Amino acid sequence: MTELLERISICVEFGKVDLKSPYPPALKDQQGAFELTRIALDSGVSPGVILEEALIPAMSRVGEKFSRNEIFVPQMLMAAKAMNSSMIHLRPFYLSGETRRKGTFIVGTVTGDLHDIGKNLVAMMIEGAGWEVIDLGVDVSTEKFIETADKYPGAVIGLSALLTTTMENMRKTVASLREIRHSMKILVGGAPVTPEFCVKIGADHYSPDPQGAVEFLKSIAQ
Amino acid sequence: MLPGVEALERAMGYLPGTAPEPVTELIQEVSEELVILDGVKAEYRIFSNIRLWPEDKTVEIEGVIFHVKPIIYSQITDTEEVALFICTAGPLVGEMSRRSMKEGDLLRGYVYDVIGSEVVECAADNMQDELKRAAGTRGMHITNRFSPGYCGWDVAEQHKLFSFFKDNFCDITLTPSALMNPVKSVSGLTGIGRNVRYTSYQCHKCDDNNCIYRNRKTKA
Ligand code: B1M
Repeated sequence: MTELLERISICVEFGKVDLKSPYPPALKDQQGAFELTRIALDSGVSPGVILEEALIPAMSRVGEKFSRNEIFVPQMLMAAKAMNSSMIHLRPFYLSGETRRKGTFIVGTVTGDLHDIGKNLVAMMIEGAGWEVIDLGVDVSTEKFIETADKYPGAVIGLSALLTTTMENMRKTVASLREIRHSMKILVGGAPVTPEFCVKIGADHYSPDPQGAVEFLKSIAQ
Repeated sequence: MLPGVEALERAMGYLPGTAPEPVTELIQEVSEELVILDGVKAEYRIFSNIRLWPEDKTVEIEGVIFHVKPIIYSQITDTEEVALFICTAGPLVGEMSRRSMKEGDLLRGYVYDVIGSEVVECAADNMQDELKRAAGTRGMHITNRFSPGYCGWDVAEQHKLFSFFKDNFCDITLTPSALMNPVKSVSGLTGIGRNVRYTSYQCHKCDDNNCIYRNRKTKA
């Protein structure tokens, strides 16, 4: 069984989606994350174990390599695609409540800002770390964040901004969220955001990359 | 107008020739699809009614003060004229990128996105070449191009820059938060004069340690 989980993990790490995917060449004509996950479930491995022992470690290795500039965005996206193919089989167990996520993460790019690639990467990696992700998209108003936070009590909020002008909107959103729920955990990121700015606006954590965001969530989920 | 595979590999962070196969294949496929990319535009206006204020590190163009800050100011001190410019790759690449991402083809969406970024940079390079040629015929040279939001120059000063152009010039609009739409657009200024020069980019003078240009691998 461990061998099967290891194979799923490798498929996810290197972006081997299914039998048809020709990449990576070493795994050509072999089953990918999609088929192997089905086989694992059919042979009695629980969805929780697949997530904990195959998908999460794979995505964690991907995040670490990205942080060290050993791989770049395309490889991260390929891994995310393979993970999604695995999730097709796991999702029904989450929906039925049979398997539980580590928590809920609400993420969006702040009002006035249309950048989404960086925010999408963070969302993918956090999903890969076992969290439910509610992605509100770009140009998200403070009201929308508040409304969604109300629907998911205990959720962690993630705000992304790519321009110094929209960082100002990030500050306003954090202030409004704090007003309604003081203890809410708020994570911020995006190219011009700094740890100093995070402290200044009263957010809980700044992360320069998706892996840092995952580590932060891990630290508060414990 | 489309950037080559190597330029795109670099823009994604790879050394030329080292991106994984599906990435280079997709770059080629998407590039073929985008051979005719409508909507790429680059325009400039040259101003000779300018003043430089060394104490404040500002440039005054027809009475409007731009706070370009020390790094940029030091590169344009001998400028006699200023060209203000805006360029765009148009809306199509952005739309294709978003559509692919929505359909779950994340990698293709990202390839469109990076092509859009490189196309607008190429358009700006071509505009600079044209500016250089035109300046040359008058015995002048040009500086590098500098954009609000870089090297300490406040991105919000794009509002002043856009005030020199007609509404929807180049089909670009500027939001109140100084975001250009289409997203794949750039704005800025270039100095022109007999004693100005073009220099290699001086990343060591800038304090943005997160900049992906700085993080790009230059050697194996
Ligand atoms: C919730 O928790 C979290 C945690 C982590 C989070 C997070 C949330 N959200 C993101 N992260 C983090 O994780 C992701 C993965 O590592 C990262 O997400 P990113 O989205 O940052 O990363 C992407 C995956 C890849 N990164 C990118 O695609 C952006 C790369 C850089 C180099 C960049 C590019 C390519 C471009 N740009 Co420009 N551009 C820059 C960028 C510099 C940089 N350091 O990144 C930035 C964003 N740009 C900037 C500027 C100023 C501008 N750009 C402009 C234009 C462009 C191009 C068109 C040439 C091109 C494409 C832009 C686009 N958005 O599509 C202009 C604006 C365009 C517009 N529409 O208004 C213009 C205003 C310049 C001008 N006057 O023309 C700067 C913004 C800062 C500021 N001063 O406001 C900038 C930081 C560069 C700089 N000065 O260092 C992290 O930030």
